[in-house]
Amino acid sequence: MSKVDFAWPASRHTPSGREFWAGLKKRKLLANKCQLCGEMFFPPRLCCPACLGDRLEWFELSGKGTLYSWTEVFFAGPEFKTPFLLGLVDLAEGVGRIASRIAGAEAGELKIGMPVRFTFVDAGEDFTIYCVTPDTG
Amino acid sequence: MRRMAAIIGCGAVQVGKYPDRLESELALDAVRMALLDAGIEKGQAEGIFTTPDLRGGIGLQANLLCEYLRITPKSMAEMTCGAVAAGLTVKTAVNEIMLGQIDVAVCYGAERECSIEWFKHFGSALFEPVALQPYASYGIIWAYAMSARRYMHETGAKEEHFAMAAVRNRRNARHSPVAAFKAPIAIEDVLESRNLCSPIKLLDSSASLDGAAAVVVASAEFARRVCPKPVYIMGWGQYHDNSCIIPTDRCDKSISSFVATREAAAAAFRVAGINPEDVDVAEVYAPFSPHELIIPEDIGWFEKGEMVKAIETGETEIGGKIPVNTDGGLLSRGHPWAVTPFYQTINVVRQLRGEAGENQVPDARIGLVHCEGGMMNNVFVLILGSE
Repeated sequence: MSKVDFAWPASRHTPSGREFWAGLKKRKLLANKCQLCGEMFFPPRLCCPACLGDRLEWFELSGKGTLYSWTEVFFAGPEFKTPFLLGLVDLAEGVGRIASRIAGAEAGELKIGMPVRFTFVDAGEDFTIYCVTPDTG
Repeated sequence: MRRMAAIIGCGAVQVGKYPDRLESELALDAVRMALLDAGIEKGQAEGIFTTPDLRGGIGLQANLLCEYLRITPKSMAEMTCGAVAAGLTVKTAVNEIMLGQIDVAVCYGAERECSIEWFKHFGSALFEPVALQPYASYGIIWAYAMSARRYMHETGAKEEHFAMAAVRNRRNARHSPVAAFKAPIAIEDVLESRNLCSPIKLLDSSASLDGAAAVVVASAEFARRVCPKPVYIMGWGQYHDNSCIIPTDRCDKSISSFVATREAAAAAFRVAGINPEDVDVAEVYAPFSPHELIIPEDIGWFEKGEMVKAIETGETEIGGKIPVNTDGGLLSRGHPWAVTPFYQTINVVRQLRGEAGENQVPDARIGLVHCEGGMMNNVFVLILGSE
């Protein structure tokens, strides 16, 4: 996928997500680890969902996962060009599940349980989005 | 809680489009009908509980209703909690009655023109987990579609099975006094309808429409005095599974079966002192047809995957093992989402009073209402019983 025309201005980033978005620009998929109890979690939050501690650090995920489910979207908001594929992906580290665009595959090629890897696509307003693509390697 | 309070009156406008009416006017219609049905004076309504007005209301709509009706309640609240809010108004009314604060309450909701725009544009910006996915999609159909696909994967269900539930609902809607969609449909119509988020198509979906409905809840003592056929509140259960829409937090949560439904139903059965098989008629809150299969399994009438066969053999039809959504469900009644649980409750009350006409389930004595907020993440189950 080449550059995508999609805006998500920084003003709309949630405080807990800023670092995550900054990571995407560097082609990194980031998650949180609690410095107090060691809990690793995703999506990012402002405090640890296990112990509620707020001393958190960021670590880079492997960018690999498994397709848990998927849908082909024909009806979305006005910003979106349809149809497109969306996947629900279990992150390889087991810390969470993430909804993501699927690139580089047709609906007919998708199989629940197939390995996928994250890729990164530059979009409007100095903004990078993540996609998943079937992991054939 | 058994038989300490009862529903003694119901009122609802037909689900549809009311471009020339105000929410407050629709609410007034429903409340007047409910008071008339209960056969009580407006001044006897000591409690007023309502669902939110999402068109910019500031929580004063119950106040407005009171001024309109010239009544002075002792207990009043507008409740929001996703689409379980309507269930919570009934819960609050019963709690107030059991505490001895009031004898009679009116629980109501009205909704107009808000859903469609709201649903199209909410989602991405509201939730922290989903806020990380602005390039996913708007709305929530995609989330239900993910759930449906996963259910197909695990059980072997085909899109035809989902379509069968939509057709069953439409057949039931034909004789409903409040349903918006009554024209018969066939399985092919559903399969050939416009694709929204595969495998969900237009006729697998509920339409956001306008509506208003109200129920009168009274202490059992009061109910026996004024009402020939009180429908008693036997129990309820509520459970939240700690996710908001799609469970993103961990990898061990199913989206083809929902722990919140299972736990809320189990709690409701426990409080009511009954088993799932004791229920004669049920209303399940399925915004999309796949969940017409998933919810009855989670409530406990079927094992996981058994609904695939059961929808083929008519187990959830009137006359089947457990008749579900006997006046059309969300799909064919139409879905003013915050008000829908009132419509569900009213349909069960009509069944238990023996007033459901062509759709009457013979000898219906115990009914169940299931409603949810999020994507089956927050579930409220109410069990009702006749004398």
